[in-house]
Amino acid sequence: MNHLKPLVGLPLVLVAILTFFSVMTSHFATAGNINAMLHAMAPLVIMSCGMALVVFSGKLDISIGSIAFLSATLAVLLINDHAVPPILAFLASLVAGIVLGALNGFIVVVLGVNALIATLGTMIALRGIALSLTGAVLIPLPTQVARLGNLTIGPLFADIVVLVLVVIAAHIVHRHTVFGRRLNAIGNGEDAARRIGLPVDRTVFASFVLSGFLAALGGIVALLQVGAISAYLGRGMEFTAVAVVVVGGISLFGGRGAILPGILLGAFIFEAIANGLNQMSANPYAYQLITGLIIFLAMYVDAMQHRRKAAVRTRR
Amino acid sequence: MSMRKIVAATLVVGVALASTAVRAEDFVVGLSWNAMDNQLPVKWQEYLLSEAKAQGEAAGINFKWVINVADADPARQAANIEDLINQGVNLIIARAEDDAAIGASIRAADQAGIPFITFDRPSSTAKPTAHVGGDSYDQGKTTAEAFVELLKANGVKGECIELQGSLTDVNAMNRSKAWHEVTDASGVVKTLVSVPTEWNPELFRSGTVNALRANPQANCMFLGSDFALPAVQSALEGAGKWAPRGEANHVWIATQDVFPEAVAAIQSKYIDLGTTYDAYAHSKEAIRVAIQVAKGEGVDCPDNICLAKGRLATQENIGTLENLWSRAE
Repeated sequence: MNHLKPLVGLPLVLVAILTFFSVMTSHFATAGNINAMLHAMAPLVIMSCGMALVVFSGKLDISIGSIAFLSATLAVLLINDHAVPPILAFLASLVAGIVLGALNGFIVVVLGVNALIATLGTMIALRGIALSLTGAVLIPLPTQVARLGNLTIGPLFADIVVLVLVVIAAHIVHRHTVFGRRLNAIGNGEDAARRIGLPVDRTVFASFVLSGFLAALGGIVALLQVGAISAYLGRGMEFTAVAVVVVGGISLFGGRGAILPGILLGAFIFEAIANGLNQMSANPYAYQLITGLIIFLAMYVDAMQHRRKAAVRTRR
Repeated sequence: MSMRKIVAATLVVGVALASTAVRAEDFVVGLSWNAMDNQLPVKWQEYLLSEAKAQGEAAGINFKWVINVADADPARQAANIEDLINQGVNLIIARAEDDAAIGASIRAADQAGIPFITFDRPSSTAKPTAHVGGDSYDQGKTTAEAFVELLKANGVKGECIELQGSLTDVNAMNRSKAWHEVTDASGVVKTLVSVPTEWNPELFRSGTVNALRANPQANCMFLGSDFALPAVQSALEGAGKWAPRGEANHVWIATQDVFPEAVAAIQSKYIDLGTTYDAYAHSKEAIRVAIQVAKGEGVDCPDNICLAKGRLATQENIGTLENLWSRAE
């Protein structure tokens, strides 16, 4: 249960937030609204899972928003301009995400560029390509395809089912596979991991590929929800995903934390704040203020834990 | 001097003068877009370039363009305009991302002696050479008045969700202000909640979903712009409320801009009415003002603010409005 240590205060924060909005609004704590919140946060959770896999190795992938945008753009253009069946277009979009993730992995692992700088570059470049492909305008999906965004399975939106499957799969990959343990080992000390013979480069490369794949999947879900591709798709998502990862108790220094329940709780806190403030008709700037405060607190806790851990290592 | 030589000299001078008169002067315009995130700026640019060619030829001015886009980042737009100033363009036309932040760029251009036209979005912090745009207050007012009359005629008490635009966009705020001034006093339409969208389609969608959850009795909407209509449609479909007028679950919708998707939705009776944002009229006026500036003459508008009003589009007239850029002909 060591991986849950960073989450000690998180459920309490969530309970406080849920209680506050349940008291202040009349429709917050309803099954329908919780269903709507899970639906709204699906793209963010899916993309955050990819981000988390990279973060476990002590690296960052800030190109996920642009990968989502470009791969979703590809799907829309294939459907609208080339009459490709949607299922094939979305598969092509996922392949594009894998290729773009591999591009990041190549730049980081083979060219040896710092992950933050490498993905900053691809973030800008990939968004530029997508903007030029779309002419930067909003392009609607055909009505029948757009309706998939509201598809339900029983009482749940279909993308909530996708969300759950992705979170469970990512959690298993992280906690119960050799690959996941290697990610943690690299995050705890890349040099040490190399010295004991772990395939560091291959593992880091694979984490970027997975991140690209999940970014594309999140992009498809976001695309279907909105029913159109717009220049806003995925914009700023990379930073929200970093915030979810940090608030979810996953250390930005690598090697610590857990996808389940960390990512789910982190994302749900942000969605609950947005949803609750929205229902209260609160000042729109309040959302940014509160979100900023929560990120700051999470970062502070993470930094304190990292410092304490480093101090223990030094004493040993 | 013989008569033949005088005639020849006169002809040479005349031809020289004539050729000077018809040779157009180069006039470099730096065009700074805040973003090209929907069809409207694309159409504006198309019309600006075509009008510059047409009106420029008639006025003996050869317009040349340096165009940049800031991707909705006020800091990047300031840097882009600084680049235009450093290139020594003759005139800057800018659509501001932030109506306050653009003031610094206007002052920088002024110090460099370069005239500045704010386009579509006026500055709230500095006075440019001229402002050209749509009358966004009138746009909101026209829509709100017509909407109140429509609901009154149908015996409906409106309980509305308002989707505002960006809070840093003066046009968005003008539309919202006009909407509230008319509807709050109408006794017919009540605004239950105002949702800021930052012009982000994802927020149009989630804002609509959240507002409907909080206010299930809502039966009408006011959209600060309909460029993101697919996102609103998706949210209403999810709530089982996307239905044409005449059906029980119809949500009455008043909108702004009348983008192509809105034209189709008005034609198919999902949207009730809207007021156009006249891209062609704006661009034509901007070039007229640019020519006046190039000639060093006044722009002939009250307080140098040149505004084109929009037109009310309804289910009855949407097919016949002239020069509607967003309607497929």
